[in-house]
Amino acid sequence: MTDAKKNSKVNKLKYPDGKTTVKRPFGERLRRFINNDNTVGYVFAMPFILGFLGFSLIPMITSLVYSFTDMTFGAKEIHFAGLRNFIALSRDDIFAKSVWVTFKYVILSVPLKLTFALLVAFLLTRKSRMVTLYRSLYYIPSLVGGSVAVALVWKQIFARKGLFNTVWMDLFDKTVNWFGGNGKLAIFPLILMSVWQFGSSMIIFAAGLKEIPESYYEAAMIDGANGFQRFFKITLPCLSPIILYNLIMQTISAFMVFTQAQIITQGGPQNETMMYALYVYNTAIKYSKMAYACAMSWVMLVIMVIITLIIFKTSKKWVFSEADS
Amino acid sequence: MKKKLVALLMAATLVLSLAACGGKEDTTANTDTKTNTSSTTKSNETKKNDEKITLRMAWWGSQNRHDKTVAVIEMYEKSHPNVDIEYEFFSFDDYFTKLKTLVASDNVWDVFQLGGNFPDYVSKIEYLDAYVKDGTIDTSKIPDAYLNITRDTDGNLVGLSNGLNTYGIAYDVDMFKKAGVAEPTGTWTWDDYADAARKIHKATGHFGTSSFTSSEFAAGCSTYVGQQGKLGEFGFFNIGLTGMGFKDPQMLTPYIQMRADLIKEGASPDAGAEMEITNIENDFLVTGEAGMTWVAVNQFPTIYKVCADQGRTLALATLPRVTKNGNAGSHIQSSQMLCVSKDSKNKKAAAEFISWFQNDVECNKILDGERGIPINDDCRAAVSGNTKNDAEGNGKKIMFDYVTLVGTFPTPEKVNVTSPAGQDEVVDLYRGYIQKVVSGEMTASEAAKLTYEAAEKLFK
Repeated sequence: MTDAKKNSKVNKLKYPDGKTTVKRPFGERLRRFINNDNTVGYVFAMPFILGFLGFSLIPMITSLVYSFTDMTFGAKEIHFAGLRNFIALSRDDIFAKSVWVTFKYVILSVPLKLTFALLVAFLLTRKSRMVTLYRSLYYIPSLVGGSVAVALVWKQIFARKGLFNTVWMDLFDKTVNWFGGNGKLAIFPLILMSVWQFGSSMIIFAAGLKEIPESYYEAAMIDGANGFQRFFKITLPCLSPIILYNLIMQTISAFMVFTQAQIITQGGPQNETMMYALYVYNTAIKYSKMAYACAMSWVMLVIMVIITLIIFKTSKKWVFSEADS
Repeated sequence: MKKKLVALLMAATLVLSLAACGGKEDTTANTDTKTNTSSTTKSNETKKNDEKITLRMAWWGSQNRHDKTVAVIEMYEKSHPNVDIEYEFFSFDDYFTKLKTLVASDNVWDVFQLGGNFPDYVSKIEYLDAYVKDGTIDTSKIPDAYLNITRDTDGNLVGLSNGLNTYGIAYDVDMFKKAGVAEPTGTWTWDDYADAARKIHKATGHFGTSSFTSSEFAAGCSTYVGQQGKLGEFGFFNIGLTGMGFKDPQMLTPYIQMRADLIKEGASPDAGAEMEITNIENDFLVTGEAGMTWVAVNQFPTIYKVCADQGRTLALATLPRVTKNGNAGSHIQSSQMLCVSKDSKNKKAAAEFISWFQNDVECNKILDGERGIPINDDCRAAVSGNTKNDAEGNGKKIMFDYVTLVGTFPTPEKVNVTSPAGQDEVVDLYRGYIQKVVSGEMTASEAAKLTYEAAEKLFK
C-alpha cells in the first residue's frame, strides 16, 4: 500500500519548472498494483466478501428494515408499521411456545451431545491402528447430518410401527406412541437425532485430547491418582477451552434446528416441536407474513446473542487456560 | 501441530462448502442444458418461421401428471412449430414458494396453474374475457356452468378449468361388510359416518376412518357450515369473500366434537399417526388400516387401482350431511385452472395454448382426466369413453358416475369455491384446536369460537 501511495503521488508531482516527473509505463504500474500486498489480500478474500455481502449482510439489513413494515411474501407495496410486528409477537401463543420448545431442545440436546462426543473422543485416544477407522465411522452420521434423507429414516424408525416399536414390542409387549398423545414425547426423537450427530464435536475433542501433554498424566499416576481423578483433574480442565468452543458452536446451531422438525413432525403435535426456525419458515413462506417472520428472526438473534454472552461471561469461572496459571 | 489442525479444518470446511455449491450448480446446469437442447432442436426445425414465441409454463402435481403434461406440450410444439414452451413442474408447496418469488419480481410464468387460492395472486392474473370475445379462446363446446366455476366474485373469467372435481368419501367395501355396517347411502349423515367409524374400529381393530389431514378444514368448516340452514343460507366465508358467511361459531362445534371423540376412541388416527400420511397414496385407507377417507375425486382412480392390486375394493360415497334431508354441501368445482399471467409478453399465444389444452380431444386423451374431468363436452365424452375394463378404468368410471350424481344435487345459485389470502394459517390453527380438544385442553365449543375468531381476523 505504502509503495503504491508514494508512486501515485510521485506521478502527480510537478516541479516548479513545469516539467512533470517521468510517468511509469502502464504495464509497470499494473504489475505493481497486482503484486501489491493489499490487492492480493482483497482478491483472495473476494469470494468471501461477495458471499458475505450478498448472502449475509445485505439480506440481514433488508430483513431488519422489513421487520418494521407490513411486507407480505410477494407483495408489491409495503407500508411502515412501526413496532406493530414486535407487539403482535408478544401476544402470539405459538411464538411463545416455539421459544419454550426451542429452549427445551437446546438445553437437553447440547449437553447430551457434548458429553457423548467427549466420551467417544476419550475412548478413541488409545494408541491403536484402528482408531482412525473408528473416528471416521463415528463421523459419518455428522456428514449426512442435516440431510432430509436421515430425517425421513428417523421418522420411520419412531413411527407407530417402526423399528423402535417393533423392538420395544418384543421386549416389553407394548408400544410407545412418540408423536401422538399429548405430544410431550415428540421432541425426544429429535433430540436423539441431534445427539447421534456428535461427529464434528468429537473430532475437535479428539484433537484437543491429543494436545494434553502425557507428562501430566505420568506425574499424576506417580502421585497415585486413579482414572477418574486423572479425567476430572487433568483432562477436563485442560480441555475446557475446547469445551467452551464446542458449547458455543453447538448451542448456536441447536437454536437454528429446522430440518428434523420440518421433516419428522412439521412442528406438531400441538406445536410441541414447533422449533423457532420452523415457525419463522411457516410464517414467512406458508402464511406469507414476511415482515412478521423478519421481526421474529431478529428477536431470535437477540436471544442467541444474549445466551452466547452469558456463556462467555461465565466461562471465566470454569475455563482453565494454561497461560494464567 | 495446532496450526496444521486449524488449516486442515479450514480446508475441510472449504471443500465441503464447495462440494455443496457444486452439487447445486450441477443440477441447474443440467436443467439448463435440457431446456437448451430442446430449444435448439426446435429452432432447427422452425428456422423458416421468423416469429418465434417462447412461452413459460409451470404446474404442480404428481409424476403421473408431469409425464402426461410434458407429452402434451411436445405435441403442441409439433403442431405449432413457432411456439417453444419452457416448462417447470413442482410439488404443491414448492410451486407456491416459487410463484410467490416470481410475483415479487414481476416475472410470473406465461401460463400457470392455480386452484381455489387464486385471490392471493389476482394481481398477476390476466382476465380471459377479452380472449373469449375475440375468439382466441374457443368456448363453443364448454357449457356456461363450467366456465362459471373459474370466475371470480365479480364475474371475471380468471382461467379455464383443468377439470371438474368434487369431494367424496372413499371407503373399503369389505371392511364395512366385516363390521356389519350398511354401506353409505346418498343421504347418510355425519352421525352415520361416526357410527360406521366406531363399528369398523371395534370389529377390525383398524381405524374406522382415516384422518382428513389438511382437508379437515374443507370438511368441518366449508362443507359443514354450508350444509346447515336453507340451501345457500350459510357458507364459511361470504360470497364476496369479504367476511364470514355465518354468525354463530357454535355451528362448528358438533363436527369438532365428533372428530375429537373419534380420535380419542382410536377410531380415527391421532396426531402421531396422522403425521405418517404424507399424500393420498399412503393414506390409511390405501394401506388397509382404515375404512374410510376424504378424497378429491380426481384422486380416486389412482387409489382405486392401488387397492385393486392388493385385492381390495373401494367405493365412493357422497359427503355425509348434517341432517338426512339437509343440503348436500358438495358441488362441482374446478380442480385447478390454467391462467395467463399479466407479466406475459405473449398473452395471446398463451391464451391460445390454454384454449387448445382444454379443447383439443387428442390432447385430453393423453391427459386422461388426471387433473379432473374435462370441461369441454367432446373431450369429456372422449375421456369417459376411454375407460378400459381394468382396475384403473373401473375406478375412473366410478369417478365419472359420481361427478354426474353430484351434478344433479340442488346447489345454491352462488357458491364460494375460492379461499381468501391467509387461509392456510386458519387451517393449521383449526387442526391444532381439534388436537387440543382431544387432549382435553379446551372444549369443542371453545375451539369453534377460536377458529371463528382466527378466520375473522383475515378480513381485518
